[in-house]
Amino acid sequence: MAARFKIAVIGSGPSGLSAAAHAAELGLSHILLEAQSHLSNTLYRYQKGKHVMAEPGVLPLRSPMSFAAGKREQILDTWQEEVARHGVNVCHNAEVVGLTGEKGAFTLNLADGGTVEAEYVVLCIGLQGNLRKMGCPGEDASFVQYQLDDPDEYQNEHIVVIGAGDAAIENALALCDHNTVTIVNRREEFDKAKAANNAAILKAIQDGRVRCVYNAGVGSVSKQPGRNPPGVLTLNTATGEARIPCHRVIARLGATPPRKFVESCGIHFPSEDPTSLPAVSATYESNVPGLYIIGALAGFPLIKQAMNQGYEVIEFIEGRKAEPADEPLLRRKLGGLPGFVDVDQALEVIRSRVPVLAPLTRLQLREFLLDSELRAPSPGEVIFQRNDYTDSFYSIVAGTVDVQIDPDDPSRILSLGGGEFFGEMSLISGRRRSATVRAGGQCVLIETPRRSMSKLIHSVAAVKRVVDEAFLRRAIQSNIAPDVPIEALSEVVGTASLLAFKAGDSLFNEGDTGDGIHLIRRGSVTVSRTIGGREVVLAYVPAGQYVGEMALISDLPRTATARAAVAVETIRLEPAPFKALLARFPVVRNHIQEQFRTRVASNFDAQQQSAERSGIIGFMMAQGLGEATDVLLIDESLCIRCDQCEKACATTHGGVSRLDREAGPTFQNLHVPTSCRHCEHPHCMKDCPPDAIKRLPGGEVSISDACIGCGNCERNCPYGVIHMGVEDNSQPSLWRWMLFGGREPGSAPPKKGKDSIKKATKCDMCKSLPGGPSCVRACPTGAAMRLSPEAFLHASQRR
Amino acid sequence: MRMHDSNASDTLHESFLSFAGFRYLKLALALCLVCVMTYICARPPASGGTWLGYSLGTIGALLIAWLALLGVRKRSYHATLGTVKGWASAHVYLGLSLVVVATLHCGFHFGWNVHTLAYALMIAVVASGIYGIVAYGRLPAQITGNRAGGTLEAWIEELDDIAERSLKVADQIGPDVHQVLIRSAERVRIGGSLRDQLFGPRMTKAVDRQYEQLRQQLATTLRSKTGRFTSIQMQWQTLSPTEKKPRRVTVNVPDAQSTVMFMADQLSGMDQDARDAEHIRSLLDLLARRHDLVTRINRDIRLHALMQIWLYVHVPLTFALLAALIVHIVSVFLYR
Ligand SMILES: Cc1cc2nc3c(=O)[nH]c(=O)nc-3n(C[C@H](O)[C@H](O)[C@H](O)COP(=O)(O)OP(=O)(O)OC[C@H]3O[C@@H](n4cnc5c(N)ncnc54)[C@H](O)[C@@H]3O)c2cc1C
Ligand code: HEM
Ligand code: HEM
Ligand code: SF4
Ligand code: SF4
Repeated sequence: MAARFKIAVIGSGPSGLSAAAHAAELGLSHILLEAQSHLSNTLYRYQKGKHVMAEPGVLPLRSPMSFAAGKREQILDTWQEEVARHGVNVCHNAEVVGLTGEKGAFTLNLADGGTVEAEYVVLCIGLQGNLRKMGCPGEDASFVQYQLDDPDEYQNEHIVVIGAGDAAIENALALCDHNTVTIVNRREEFDKAKAANNAAILKAIQDGRVRCVYNAGVGSVSKQPGRNPPGVLTLNTATGEARIPCHRVIARLGATPPRKFVESCGIHFPSEDPTSLPAVSATYESNVPGLYIIGALAGFPLIKQAMNQGYEVIEFIEGRKAEPADEPLLRRKLGGLPGFVDVDQALEVIRSRVPVLAPLTRLQLREFLLDSELRAPSPGEVIFQRNDYTDSFYSIVAGTVDVQIDPDDPSRILSLGGGEFFGEMSLISGRRRSATVRAGGQCVLIETPRRSMSKLIHSVAAVKRVVDEAFLRRAIQSNIAPDVPIEALSEVVGTASLLAFKAGDSLFNEGDTGDGIHLIRRGSVTVSRTIGGREVVLAYVPAGQYVGEMALISDLPRTATARAAVAVETIRLEPAPFKALLARFPVVRNHIQEQFRTRVASNFDAQQQSAERSGIIGFMMAQGLGEATDVLLIDESLCIRCDQCEKACATTHGGVSRLDREAGPTFQNLHVPTSCRHCEHPHCMKDCPPDAIKRLPGGEVSISDACIGCGNCERNCPYGVIHMGVEDNSQPSLWRWMLFGGREPGSAPPKKGKDSIKKATKCDMCKSLPGGPSCVRACPTGAAMRLSPEAFLHASQRR
Repeated sequence: MRMHDSNASDTLHESFLSFAGFRYLKLALALCLVCVMTYICARPPASGGTWLGYSLGTIGALLIAWLALLGVRKRSYHATLGTVKGWASAHVYLGLSLVVVATLHCGFHFGWNVHTLAYALMIAVVASGIYGIVAYGRLPAQITGNRAGGTLEAWIEELDDIAERSLKVADQIGPDVHQVLIRSAERVRIGGSLRDQLFGPRMTKAVDRQYEQLRQQLATTLRSKTGRFTSIQMQWQTLSPTEKKPRRVTVNVPDAQSTVMFMADQLSGMDQDARDAEHIRSLLDLLARRHDLVTRINRDIRLHALMQIWLYVHVPLTFALLAALIVHIVSVFLYR
């Protein structure tokens, strides 16, 4: 007979602890099931001594558990003690592997075969997933571990690292200075890792600092008692079995995302996208009645939010209508809405006025509005300028806005009214604003940051459809057929298809029959021709422009190959309706022909250039220039290696240089140092819990003080330009140095203690300085330059 | 701030010498022209004490003070007054024009006095500056070419690794070869004295010679390797490491266990001789790679030193010049 409880809480993260503690406080029968032998595994796995931050600062905490910014250890100790004080019924080593039944009678199956019954279930297992184990005999031996907190802990050991991802490589490299390290790769390459890690590990292997066994699977792990080293790992290799004696095995095989388990509980995910999360109601109930989801799994990635929800969810289960902790914030935010009564009413108004937001659940709408800003610009006020780099999304609640569609003629204006939205172009393409937008009369707008909007697009299919359609229509209208009424485009829009290409894939090849024109929605494309057996790159086409128009106009086969420089999405327009459009509107035909003519001319020019230029373009694309908006390049034929650039950077940014001049590849005197490229779709933004990474109007991707130091961006940036560091704003005096010596301006500041708060640092284009990037301004010879890809290709053409 | 506008980029990539369409070259030429014209026209002919002399002297002194300020501007990383590139451009051209200004100022009067000392110092500073321009123009590309994609750190690590690996291979050939290698397993010195930087460390050269001998001997043995392996006779003199410990990157070298066994196992199929030949061949490869690395490292250090050495003349002489100039100015006012 299984134990039976009113409430079962799965997972003892901040959300689960808070829920269980509130249940205990209310005297409800409950159980807290935790897979690990300690509480709060996600926090437990933070690096030792990490300073945990309590973002967002404005949000009040409502939970029987306490939480304030502080050291990881201190927080975990306090929670441990509070759990005991509240009499929370914790069950450790209880991984839930299955959930069946319905409201009032759920059955939870545990990994050890036990079962638990509960009327209500609160699922709060976070997003970290379970670490993958080796799945072989001995996988839990005492000298086997699946993570590495502090590489300096081990010295003079023989350590085997298993895995070929970033974590495995970084561990191997961190350990190899003081230990003998062997890395075991199941395959032949490390190409799943970031380019920088891939290069670093290959180098280390070549240099003999790390040994590598390729094409090897783990057979077993066993102890060899009384011998040194005490363990032995058996590998299955192409040439048979190999035994590696070792002190320690560190397997970094990644984690299984929790999605599969969650789906097996009957919970729906709105889309296939890996970032998509289950939708929950305003009371955190999932599509399975009686099954509640809170915390990171419900889309709330910060500790304080998770804890508040733990409290609220128990209140909801008890049938009370808890006012959410963020209600006062929302009230303040929506108070400016004309005719405001209370938050609920305001939510209804917004939902009914703005169709794109109608499909949202109440909780999603709340979350959406919490992240957004309500703005009431005065008539004529500029909302954004053409060529700004901002990427937020605007919904019109009331009034109108004027979109200036022709940069050369301010009188040509498109008006958008209540219920419509704008700003989706930059959001999707990652490029500059394509038009200036001004407020009309009585305008009330909701401005939503990129992350919240992207999250919404990925979690609500209906929103994605509406936004995609608008993008399609507007992109065609503004790029191809500016003077054509929308109705005339319906045929072209209706038959258009959305295509996705991986970096290196070709959109079409030279000699293919033309199958339509591609409007590039995101990413960028190189156009090349095969000349003398070699592929020569002729042009680079960024998002917002189109390729493939030549074949449409001339009915000839494709004259060139278009290849995705990075991950690319295009809109392909079918030839037939497009040709019909051309026939009907000679303006469009002229427009395309004009473009065609300039392209032929510039391709001809490009072809005259030697293969060298093509080589440079190829090299730059491999360095991620295809998705860059601004990249630091050094012309090594001018660079006198004075490191002025690094010193200037360090001086501007608290003594920590955000660029590494010497690192990075070089091609024909063109050097790409390790420094931020300010990507169109910054990978670093992908997974930042406090949403601290923003793109500023000038295009700078910059990290704000809200950074909690989690290191996600450092891992997500494929170019290795983010570092976790401690900044120190004490500046040595120039005159004191000149007269008395001591610390030279630009030199490294004294080392900081271990306790200091580490935050993510990366290039922000010196946004705090009036003159722009200090690296470039400090370079005495003009070797250092910051360029956009277009400007770069232009410059290289003249070389 | 806003990022580059695409048309501004045309001027972005240019050397400091061609900065702003040679603006400061033109300015300097104009300055020289004006000075020469007034000098020719002036009556009485200018020398230090005339009105023109005073004017030219003042211009010269101001120029020198401003030129010396480049050292300050270079380190004021937040200054918004122009870019360092612009300053450097102006520094070079106006610095050169100083020769004309100062020469005209003194009206070609030279003597063995503090005035001419100041003049001589100025010429020395300018001359070192000219060397600097030549160095900056030629050496960077040579450094890049020599680097061939590598970095100094990685090279040094590789060298250490080669040393270890060759020892291991030597082990397999015979104890005598091993001995020889051990005794000569000196490291490349990084930095070292100025002389070493510019002309390459003496010690490495000696080691190199010994490696070369070893290489030749190994090659002979390899060629003659038809019958049984005869151990290599080697005359070898030990190097006494007299000089102080060089900076080097420590690396850990894996022990002989495990993965390396694969290779050993595969080789075990062959007969003794074939294996010896194999070892000698790989030792030769290692020595060749080592030779290449050592050459590159030394050239890298030398090029870097050549590119910076002149500043160690330019800057101290600047201070000497400033001192002499003050003495000159004070003295002409006091004793005239
Ligand atoms: C490196 C790093 C640093 C961070 N720093 C901060 C910070 O400074 N401030 C901040 O506010 N946020 C920070 N965050 C985010 C924060 O950690 C999460 O938002 C928070 O932990 C989410 O809480 P949760 O309760 O939803 O899930 P989690 O904390 O992830 O807890 C999930 C728990 O469920 C358990 N579990 C999982 N599956 C099962 C199962 N099947 N059966 C039983 N138990 C299971 C796990 O073992 C775990 O204990 C950081 C995140 C990371 C990765
Ligand atoms: C404020 C700036 C200057 C003033 C007022 C000044 C003044 C003078 C005067 C009055 C003389 C004439 C001395 C005499 O005939 O005995 C003189 C000569 C001279 N000055 Fe200057 N001078 C200045 C700057 C310079 C500079 C910058 C240089 C070069 C570095 C320089 C180098 C000389 C030389 C070489 C002479 C010739 C000395 C000689 O006749 O033997 N002076 N200066
Ligand atoms: C009397 C005249 C001059 C004076 C007083 C002077 C002084 C200086 C000073 C103080 C520096 C700063 C060095 C440092 O801090 O690192 C410098 C740098 C330099 N000078 Fe001069 N200089 C003079 C003339 C010239 C001339 C004529 C040239 C070239 C033809 C020249 C070329 C340079 C260059 C290339 C630098 C280095 C810039 C850098 O590497 O940052 N100088 N000079
Ligand atoms: S930090 Fe990395 S991912 Fe983010 S914008 Fe810069 S280069 Fe791109
Ligand atoms: S400041 Fe310019 S010259 Fe100096 S190291 Fe940097 S890029 Fe090279």
